[in-house]
Amino acid sequence: MLELRLVQGSLLKKVLESIKDLVNDANFDCSATGFSLQAMDSSHVALVALLLRSEGFEHYRCDRNISMGMNLTNMAKMLKCAGNDDIITIKADDGSDTVTFMFESPTQDKIADFEMKLMDIDSEHLGIPEAEYHAIVRMPSAEFGRICKDLSSIGDTVVISVTKEGVKFSTRGDIGTANIVCRQNTTVDKPEEATVIEMNEPVSLTFALRYLNSFTKASPLSNTVTISLSSELPVVVEYKIAEMGYVRYYLAPKIEEDEEETKP
Amino acid sequence: MADIETLGIVDEIQALVSDKLQVVSYKWLSRNFLVSSNSAKRLLQEFVEKHGSGLEVVYSLSGWLKDSPSTYHIRLVSSANLSVVATIYQSSAGYFYAEAKKEFLDDCSVQVYSVQACIPKDPVALWNSEFVQAEELFRQSLSADNCLLDNRFCGVSNPFIMRNGGGTIPSTNAVPQVKSEASGLRKSNSTAQVKPEQKKVQLPSPSASVPSSHVVDAKSESRGTSGPEEGSKFVADKHKVAQLPPAKKAVQSEKSSKNGGALANMWGRVPTKPKVDIVSAATSDAIPNPVGLYLSLFGLVIEFALCFVSFVLGYELHLTDHFLSFGTYVYLGIAAQICTPEGVEDRISDDDDQQVSIRRTSNGEGNRKRRVIFDYSDEEDEFKDAVNLASPDPPKQKSILGSKQTPSTPELEKREVKKVKEAGSKSHEQETKEAGSKSHEQETFSKKSHEQETFSKRSHEQERKPLPTSEPKSSKLHSSEIISEHASLKNAAVKDEVTNAAPTSPKRRKVMKTRIDERGREVTEVVWEGEDTEIKADSNTMKKADNNPVNSTGDRAPMAKKSPALGSTAPTNQASKAGNKKTGNKDPKQGNILSFFKKKA
Repeated sequence: MLELRLVQGSLLKKVLESIKDLVNDANFDCSATGFSLQAMDSSHVALVALLLRSEGFEHYRCDRNISMGMNLTNMAKMLKCAGNDDIITIKADDGSDTVTFMFESPTQDKIADFEMKLMDIDSEHLGIPEAEYHAIVRMPSAEFGRICKDLSSIGDTVVISVTKEGVKFSTRGDIGTANIVCRQNTTVDKPEEATVIEMNEPVSLTFALRYLNSFTKASPLSNTVTISLSSELPVVVEYKIAEMGYVRYYLAPKIEEDEEETKP
Repeated sequence: MADIETLGIVDEIQALVSDKLQVVSYKWLSRNFLVSSNSAKRLLQEFVEKHGSGLEVVYSLSGWLKDSPSTYHIRLVSSANLSVVATIYQSSAGYFYAEAKKEFLDDCSVQVYSVQACIPKDPVALWNSEFVQAEELFRQSLSADNCLLDNRFCGVSNPFIMRNGGGTIPSTNAVPQVKSEASGLRKSNSTAQVKPEQKKVQLPSPSASVPSSHVVDAKSESRGTSGPEEGSKFVADKHKVAQLPPAKKAVQSEKSSKNGGALANMWGRVPTKPKVDIVSAATSDAIPNPVGLYLSLFGLVIEFALCFVSFVLGYELHLTDHFLSFGTYVYLGIAAQICTPEGVEDRISDDDDQQVSIRRTSNGEGNRKRRVIFDYSDEEDEFKDAVNLASPDPPKQKSILGSKQTPSTPELEKREVKKVKEAGSKSHEQETKEAGSKSHEQETFSKKSHEQETFSKRSHEQERKPLPTSEPKSSKLHSSEIISEHASLKNAAVKDEVTNAAPTSPKRRKVMKTRIDERGREVTEVVWEGEDTEIKADSNTMKKADNNPVNSTGDRAPMAKKSPALGSTAPTNQASKAGNKKTGNKDPKQGNILSFFKKKA
């Protein structure tokens, strides 16, 4: 028996919007600690990891670990039927092949039940080791989204270089080149508008912009994004979900001819 | 003519010229695809504009000579002798390369005569294909519906020849006579006879020679009604033909009284008697020309005469490689409208006509080369050879014979026959493989010959096949024997076919499937039964390609062996494609997340 009651229903809607472009089908894993998902995109270049901790739910009941295979597009369709202020309850019976989404309006005068068929999905969980990153950049998610969007109109790939001066996003395309440098800036009124760079050593990596662009679909979830770079590791783009967890995207870098060290 | 259809034809021209290396002249095109000669010329022009690069184009220039303005000249000129081809057609007719042009007065027309991969060394090759085609048409019985006999597509009409779609033979006595002779005799004779008759009509019937303005009117009228109707009428016509055959056999010389009428509307009516006062040679697209004269007014040229003229033309080219002067006003189909000075028009007299016929006669007799070709193609098997030696058949081809059967039918059957025959003779080599499939092939063959009878009104060739011996099967076998004994090239081809036949498993058999396609034509395909329906068409064309002796060399055989497995190659490709989709889509530089994170146990 599974019953998860999430008062801030819009949050689940945003989560779905943030991952459904990257992944078609995925297993949602429910355990006592929380509601999580880990899935790779079809080309095995990017990985998305979602965690919604049990503490974030108003009511969290998960008798045993359960994995529910869902088509994310279909799930997003159902969640779109929920109002932004609705309370969403996810329910599933043991051994059932369906999951039920219940939407309650804030005033409790409207209750909707959506039952969705589950699917069997073969998915492999990857062990993601905790790692020290050479550079961690925290910046406004809107800013990051804007940069990725702008650069993708120029080129296909972006080189993210972190130095003491700041983080540089550069791309090259048929029509020309583009470089965007964001300097560290902590002297802002609102902390979420700050750009913070923690750097142990300079790092420069190349990524496919189309993946980064689909990562930025998570921008509504958080005002800030954290980009963690290490020359031997995939970049981690993390959007924190307030008081609940995170959506983390891992993206394998493109291998530069002159940068053998990017590959472990 | 519908654009879609002409588009298709342009594609086919491409296939013919580049794959079969055939000389595609407008006449051939007109008869083969059942379009008017003017449309054919337009199609060729369109083709040259689109795909002209890399191909050689022969233009026909026609006009009045500068040095002897009384003489109308028609001259075939290769594109090399014209100025840049593109500019000619951009700037419309009348723009010539100085050398060619300077001999003409200002007004002369340039039209594409033929398109070919290269200019043949022997100019005879220029009209070879159209001549062979014309012969085929001549050989057809008089009652057959035949675009040549009823002068259907020529831009020039002849009052003796009724243009109607229903296969009606004009009721005048003279014409059938001419035709019967034409079909049996050398054309030099027949043309010689035609001329006086035409003259005869022309003179006593001034009423038939309507003022040119009248003609123009008729033209514009018919133009208004042509277009979409045209295509449908052709189709209707073709259907009609399909129903004709039985009658054709029975009454060889009988004049059928069927009244087609469909084409008559399109082309305008040509009177059989002078008292009928509608004379129009209206072609669907002729450009009204105030001074322009229709050849119908001269009553000069009928379509089959054109063959001879063109022959003479080619002959002249061959001998002198130079300009031709007939000293006459022979209008090839080249000029539907001709800028004829009115004064000259009157001068076109009996003398000129006489001159023409004499000239033609002498040319026809004097041309040995032509005669050789004639005889050669008289042997239908040899002719078939020629067909077989050529490159893959164009995807869809309307019958040369103006009937609606696909020409590929007899050829395919022929191949089948050969195959069976070869299978028999080579069985000692391939006993093991052959044993099972041979009997099967025989069965298929018998089925085929039965089909042949069913579609008794096949093409003309088929019609003729029974002639040597009354039993079609044996005669065919005989012919294939001849073929296989003839040339080593052919043997290679046959070998190919044998290898095709050899791997025939009992599960898969070749069957002829006949269907009516969207354009109303009957399409007969040889398919491997038991395969996916989607690849049927493919296998058919591929098989044709395999049969192509041009490609067949010694090492071809093992490849050909695979061809029956076509069915399996297609799915393989699909599978690999699908496989690629998963992984192949990736940028080689793009790293894989799996190389960073290990799977959990």
